[in-house]
Amino acid sequence: MKKLFASVIVLMLAGGSASAQDDPVKSRQALMDAAAGAAGIAIPMLRGEMEYHPAVAKAAIATFYGVSRSAHVFFPEGSAGETKAAPRIWEDPEGFQAAFAKFEETATAAFEAAGEDGPPDLKAFQQAVAPVLDNCGTCHENYRLE
Amino acid sequence: MRRIVYLAAGVVVIGGVAAWFMASAQPLESSALNGLEPGDAARGEQVFWAGGCVSCHSRTNAQGDEQLELAGGLAIKSDFGTFVAPNISPHPEDGIGSWSDMDFANAMLRGVSPEGRHYYPAFPYTSYARMSEQDVVDLFAFMKTLPPVEGDAGEHDLPFPFSVRAGVGLWKMLYFSDNPVVALGDDVDPAIARGQYLVEGPGHCGECHSPRGFGGGTDTSRWLAGGPAMAGDGRVPNITPSSDGIGSWSADDIAYYLESGFTPDFDSAGGEMAKVVRNMAKLPAEDRDAIAAYLKAIPPHP
Repeated sequence: MKKLFASVIVLMLAGGSASAQDDPVKSRQALMDAAAGAAGIAIPMLRGEMEYHPAVAKAAIATFYGVSRSAHVFFPEGSAGETKAAPRIWEDPEGFQAAFAKFEETATAAFEAAGEDGPPDLKAFQQAVAPVLDNCGTCHENYRLE
Repeated sequence: MRRIVYLAAGVVVIGGVAAWFMASAQPLESSALNGLEPGDAARGEQVFWAGGCVSCHSRTNAQGDEQLELAGGLAIKSDFGTFVAPNISPHPEDGIGSWSDMDFANAMLRGVSPEGRHYYPAFPYTSYARMSEQDVVDLFAFMKTLPPVEGDAGEHDLPFPFSVRAGVGLWKMLYFSDNPVVALGDDVDPAIARGQYLVEGPGHCGECHSPRGFGGGTDTSRWLAGGPAMAGDGRVPNITPSSDGIGSWSADDIAYYLESGFTPDFDSAGGEMAKVVRNMAKLPAEDRDAIAAYLKAIPPHP
């Protein structure tokens, strides 16, 4: 189980390929989908709709961690196109990078807190992951259109 | 001949008086606030978040307590020109600190300024008109506890004919109503009724989520069915319980979205709606549940 999650994450985050750089929109969307997927296991556990499991929690945190360290490079100037990326990403690049820095900082802290086996219980997971999840709304408020 | 001239002159005068009357501001009856309890700031704070005041009236990007400085300044670009949200902090000169309860109630419930002028409906009194007088007075009591902020936010930038405020009087004749939008019947569940009040009144959800017809009035026949965004490109989503709307969302999904911004697919709200979620997150859970119950109960539209 643990190995499966680990390999899924490795596959998701195996960046740096030529196609990733040729199509930054697709790459950043794939990374945001990965973050949404992680939220999709984190939130049901937090809400008691899914049984808590430390390894699953770790998979979610590790995904956020990886996305937080990589997605920001896939927003080159002129890549807004027809996407929901807000023009402000390029009008206010410092603010955008600061928002990502916050994401990375909280995700790094969560990743470190998770340790080798994941947060031992739901409360520990909650403490680690809640500050990470806060970034979704605050960043989208300013840097995504809807 | 002379008689015809008199007659024509009479018609012009009567027509002019009628037009002037229609275009003139219609404030509340002077007794409208009689019998209310004194404004309660604690209750008013709930109304404040339900009303989403900070989304337009606090400075761009204000976080935390900075949101409570209602300096105004947000420019709302529309088909009619650019509207600038005013300073509504309790500053006596630059804000609304010298207003009476009645002045505030006339602004919220009738769209009329203390000087008896019309406000443009960029200020969503078209929804706030459905609020209770008590909520309005409580809200004002809360707003008076906020920090006064110096400085005028600036003037609207509107081309002719929209620069003529009297035109707003005619617009109100056509589109302004304080009646409920959706007929839910007398024996409606109290939670749904509360949701209706919040959505159609203070929450002013229909201002963005309903399409507008010719002249900019809300098309209530397609209530909450979404449409082109007023400002900028893009579309505002349909939030009726249809397959094009949010029919697949459970009431719990809607309530959780309003609390957290996460959709059932674990996407996270952005843009204007992220601001709305920040406000909605401050309401009691029962109010978010009530909004969800109402949104499940209204007519579905494609």
